[in-house]
Amino acid sequence: MALVKARKIDGAKPAGAAEGGDPLAWLEDADPARRRQAAHALGDRPDAVPALSARLTREEDPSVRETLLTALVRIGTAAAAAALVPHLASEDVGLRNGVIESLQQMPAAVAMPEVAPLLTAADSDLRIFAAQLIGKLPHPDRLDLLAGVIDRDPHVNVCLSAVEALMEGGDPAALPVVERLSGRFPDDPFVAFSVDAARRLFSGA
Amino acid sequence: MSLPSDKGPSDKGDTAGLSAADYDAFCRFLRERTGLSFTEAKRYFVDRRVSERMAAVGVEHVRQYLNLLRFQASGEELQLLVNRMTVNETYFFRELYQLDCLVNAALDEVVRGRPPGSRVRIWSAGCATGEEPYSIAITLLERWSRVDEFEIELYASDIDSQVLARAREGIYEQRSLQAMPRDLVAKYFTRLDDQSWQIMEELRDSIDFSLVNIADPQQMENFRGMDVIFCRNLLIYFDDLGRREAASMFYDALSPNGFICLGHSESMSRMSSLFVPRRFPDAILYQKPQS
Repeated sequence: MALVKARKIDGAKPAGAAEGGDPLAWLEDADPARRRQAAHALGDRPDAVPALSARLTREEDPSVRETLLTALVRIGTAAAAAALVPHLASEDVGLRNGVIESLQQMPAAVAMPEVAPLLTAADSDLRIFAAQLIGKLPHPDRLDLLAGVIDRDPHVNVCLSAVEALMEGGDPAALPVVERLSGRFPDDPFVAFSVDAARRLFSGA
Repeated sequence: MSLPSDKGPSDKGDTAGLSAADYDAFCRFLRERTGLSFTEAKRYFVDRRVSERMAAVGVEHVRQYLNLLRFQASGEELQLLVNRMTVNETYFFRELYQLDCLVNAALDEVVRGRPPGSRVRIWSAGCATGEEPYSIAITLLERWSRVDEFEIELYASDIDSQVLARAREGIYEQRSLQAMPRDLVAKYFTRLDDQSWQIMEELRDSIDFSLVNIADPQQMENFRGMDVIFCRNLLIYFDDLGRREAASMFYDALSPNGFICLGHSESMSRMSSLFVPRRFPDAILYQKPQS
């Protein structure tokens, strides 16, 4: 028979616990596995936020980057959220998407104060990211912030991101807000299509 | 202690235990949406799981919860409830297409370039009462043409010590064996009585069963160098961050180019960007990149 008895794994024994040293130092190790190990170990250390953020800026290995992001989400402080926000302006799509996903997974009360100011950023892409993010944060200001986008943002694509975010939330109270967009962009066929889709969604038709 | 199922129709109306009308509405909804069918005899089973899910999402009234199931855009809560409803329905050769994929394609890729006699490590994470790791063992022995060329280590783990004890014992009733051909039952099991069969000692001894919480990084550090991980219908019970951390730990546990098999309704792309989806003729698996 080709099956051999596997070596015994004792789940209660912390195999790596005896390893000494400061995980902060491992963040700069040449071995990606060591850097991942460092990020794992730092996920409960709020004092490590600056180091994790700095490493995130330089990190090119996707698996380490993912672990750095996860560590910042696990720390979950306002400082951790603030450390993520600047990376939304990165040219690296993978990093940007990772940051969006990470901010979504942080407590809304922590993420919202860092994300909401982006609604007034000069870069419309940042405003779109902010609208998408706010749509997924269970926060009491969510509807008001997205309504503000729909009523005031000059860029139709930002407004449509807010519409999409409101539709994903599924709250029928959002329908009057969405309908106001037709008045701002009466000749835009995609606005008409989106508002109609929202009506159908919220009426259950 | 009397069970809710022993009672007549409840007049509590809107909280689980479900009233007769609500129970009917629930069963009709689940049947229409999922094909799952529950009779009156399953009332306690359904009631308990609905109550658990209502508590988990913070909904007090059954009709509110039913509305959540009906109208939630993501369908996540329905999936969670369905998994709770089906969690005890495991059996040998469940989701056979992934076992097909293992022996038809994935293992050949795993051992490419390895000399004869090399170790191959396969881990069933969340193995419950053992049907999955034993199904893997039998599938390898019966259907992988290169099985005798390698030394294959099978690991199985669960967080529940009671189900692990049952897995080690390897005694199953007819329901667990329903999808297994009779000749394989005869080959690998000993009939104990009219109701139960025990899997042969050689197979029981070949698998390392261990008590492991996959959410615990220290415990997960013991698992390294795995070539294939089966983690089916387990991560659905984790929150987003928990799934992401578990995916990261599985990444560390896998060898480069190793595979992870998730349940048919689960997608690694919604949990983590660490793995590459690989579409094989029989199934989609997720692979750890070479570097």
